[in-house]
Amino acid sequence: MLGRLSPQTLRILALLVVLALVLAFFASQVPNYFNARLFNRISSSVAIMALIATAQTLVILTRNIDLSIGSVVGFTAFATGNLVAGSPDIHPLVLVVYAMLVGAGFGLINGVIVAYARVPSIIVTLATMAIFRSALVEYSDAKSITSSQLPQWLVQFPNTSLFEVGGVQFRAAFVTAVIVVLIVHVALNRLRPARRLYAVGSNPEAAEMAGINLRLTVLSAFVMAGALAGLAGFMFLARFGNITVVAGLGFELKSVAAAVVGGVNIFGGSGTVLGALIGAILVDLIDTSLVRWALVSEFWREAVLGALILTAVAVDAILMRRLIRMRIAREKERLAALPQTEAVE
Amino acid sequence: MTAPVSAPSTSTVPVLGLRNISKSFGMTRALSDMSLSLFPGEVHAVVGENGAGKSTMIKIMTGVHQPSSGSLEVDGVALRLSGPKDARQAGIAAIYQEPMVFPDLDVAENIFISATGLGLVQNRAALRSRARSLIDRIGMTLDVDRIAAGLTLAEQQAVEIARALSQDVRVLIMDEPTASLSDHEATQLRQIARTLAGQGVAVVYISHRLEEIFDVADRVTVIRDGQHISTRPVAEVTPDGMIGEMVGREVGNYFTKAPSHTRPEVMLSVQNLGYADAFKEISFDLHAGEVLCMAGLVGARRTDVALSLFGIHPATSGQVKWLGQPFHATSPAQAIQAGIAYVSEDRRKLGLAMPMAIRANITLATLNAILSRLGLIDRAAEQGIAESFRKKLNIRTPDVETSVGMLSGGNQQKVMLAKWLEMRPRLLIFDEPTRGIDVGAKAEVHDLIRSFVKDGGAALVISSDLPEVLALGDRILVMREGRQMGILDHDDATQETVMRLATGAISLKGAA
Repeated sequence: MLGRLSPQTLRILALLVVLALVLAFFASQVPNYFNARLFNRISSSVAIMALIATAQTLVILTRNIDLSIGSVVGFTAFATGNLVAGSPDIHPLVLVVYAMLVGAGFGLINGVIVAYARVPSIIVTLATMAIFRSALVEYSDAKSITSSQLPQWLVQFPNTSLFEVGGVQFRAAFVTAVIVVLIVHVALNRLRPARRLYAVGSNPEAAEMAGINLRLTVLSAFVMAGALAGLAGFMFLARFGNITVVAGLGFELKSVAAAVVGGVNIFGGSGTVLGALIGAILVDLIDTSLVRWALVSEFWREAVLGALILTAVAVDAILMRRLIRMRIAREKERLAALPQTEAVE
Repeated sequence: MTAPVSAPSTSTVPVLGLRNISKSFGMTRALSDMSLSLFPGEVHAVVGENGAGKSTMIKIMTGVHQPSSGSLEVDGVALRLSGPKDARQAGIAAIYQEPMVFPDLDVAENIFISATGLGLVQNRAALRSRARSLIDRIGMTLDVDRIAAGLTLAEQQAVEIARALSQDVRVLIMDEPTASLSDHEATQLRQIARTLAGQGVAVVYISHRLEEIFDVADRVTVIRDGQHISTRPVAEVTPDGMIGEMVGREVGNYFTKAPSHTRPEVMLSVQNLGYADAFKEISFDLHAGEVLCMAGLVGARRTDVALSLFGIHPATSGQVKWLGQPFHATSPAQAIQAGIAYVSEDRRKLGLAMPMAIRANITLATLNAILSRLGLIDRAAEQGIAESFRKKLNIRTPDVETSVGMLSGGNQQKVMLAKWLEMRPRLLIFDEPTRGIDVGAKAEVHDLIRSFVKDGGAALVISSDLPEVLALGDRILVMREGRQMGILDHDDATQETVMRLATGAISLKGAA
């Protein structure tokens, strides 16, 4: 019965089961675990993580990786803060577009080098991670943005509660991020050009034979990822208000972790941003919950996260291999059941 | 030689014509003065030995290569295809032995991945119904929602054909489409070819299975050494006549058989060896001092037999006796330990570290033997070994520090041989020892193999080069699609007999 569902649907279901198990586990370990604060804390952090996990997914789908994503978030957070501090009357929408354009610009740099100079993305983005970060230091002149420089609407935006369900607030930043993820999810599934990301990551040779422009596809993945990272930068600015040169540090690995835990194949070609969203929630949930679990020392939190990533990847690989074997077996049965009239040679 | 064209269908204008096409790669002439006409509604088989120029011809028809001279005509009008995209626009598509599908996408998406004019938003329902009608058109039953990863090879090919149909294909080239298929699947695919021809598509069918050519084709073209030999309606062709035309080349005099060094004692005895779906019931004895050649066409699975003996994919059935003891290698290390060496056909991928020095390549597999007491590599010893091989094998290089990538193909092959000989194996399995190297170097490699067996070793040589098989093999084992078709003594073997076995025109199964 499970074999009839698409692998992607199965992955999402499996992730939801894991999410429920993790919640149940911590509820049994931590007194008074479920409360509104847990949800609020995680949801404000996920608002940023979900966006960068989505960005990273777009790139990973094409068999690439973007390690510069944290630096892009930091830079756009600072640049956007700088702009709004200088001209506080700027329209919010203009500010968002500005952040996304700056991010897309960085994505363009990555994409051009990867797609047209044919340098492996892990090397390119390792280099640009450092370069973009240094650019931020240079641009900021080692100064910080503080929330006192920002307009009130921006500081209040992330914590504005859009609606409440039994004391649990659905805040603007979280809801925005979820909507963005859903839009990207639908676009990836339903827009024809978007399917090329999957085609290119799934079988580059075949994609080329099918007349798909490999370079342009990879380039656009990096540009879109940059734009999403820019949006995350805006969210980062709104959430923390205080932006220093270390903003977004370590996000590149967190985004990869969320994507991989969410079932995105690191070798490209398969995965969904919805999975990446759940992956981001899972990573964040465990991270937050471990703080409250008395049994595990703070030093082991990273290790538990690492173990989670390994488990996720291993389970995924086993599950998919099983599934494919099951299908092939079923197919063989079907063939065997066919009348053998033609197969006499 | 001009093409004797007799159009079988009502149409008199060929949908695709090759007019006196020649193609050279550097010094090698892959095609010369090739002419061919394809008519709508015919299945046109093209046969020829490995390396006869079939692939080059396909690549020219699909716009991958451009002819050095001559021209292509579509509907009687000369057309220049500057890339695969042009060919697709002209309605020419090809499918290959290894289908090109996207494992992560479903069948419908696979079919329409490069289709245009479907709008920006993917309409699942429309996509699905159009995919279904294309699948129906080729007479298959296939769930269009399935993910391509689980499809059988034949189904993947059906998906590829449907993709071609979605772009209004008029000429469909099928390049050995059935080479990796089961009989049942191959029948299915031939039916698809007939169905499409019935709908007015010109199908070019390339195959090594002669019997299926008689089953599927309307006309047959034989090519040899890059030249057009004949084009005839299939009813006027006999298997023997076709084989004669395929191998009719004169055998060069550098390939004269040297006397056999075969001794009575059996070194390797293989009984009913099999591996998964790849091959089964392979049985032979290999004597000391003997060269046994394995002949066959692409897809005969000879390399798989070698890989099983070498422990890369351990046999799943049958027994092997090595030097009188039962032997079942489960890893290359084990085989090497037992004195079995395997020289791969793919020098670049599996054999040599191209940027490294000749010296380092030769001693790569035997590093332990040249370690000094401190556990460091003894440079002087290494140098000595490399130098001695350079002289013995006549490797043409300024010195042994030259990187292997700088050498010619023949000399690279000698370095590879040196690497394995340095381990002093008793059995040398040599896969396509002279592919892509010049005639002089070929003769040298042959001499090296002979001197190896003269010293008491045994050699198993896989070769697709018929003259080489006849010149080198004391006996010749012919395989076809994972089956042993027979073993010929050198004195009984001719190019024709080997080819007949390899194509399945006759079988010696009982007699072997």
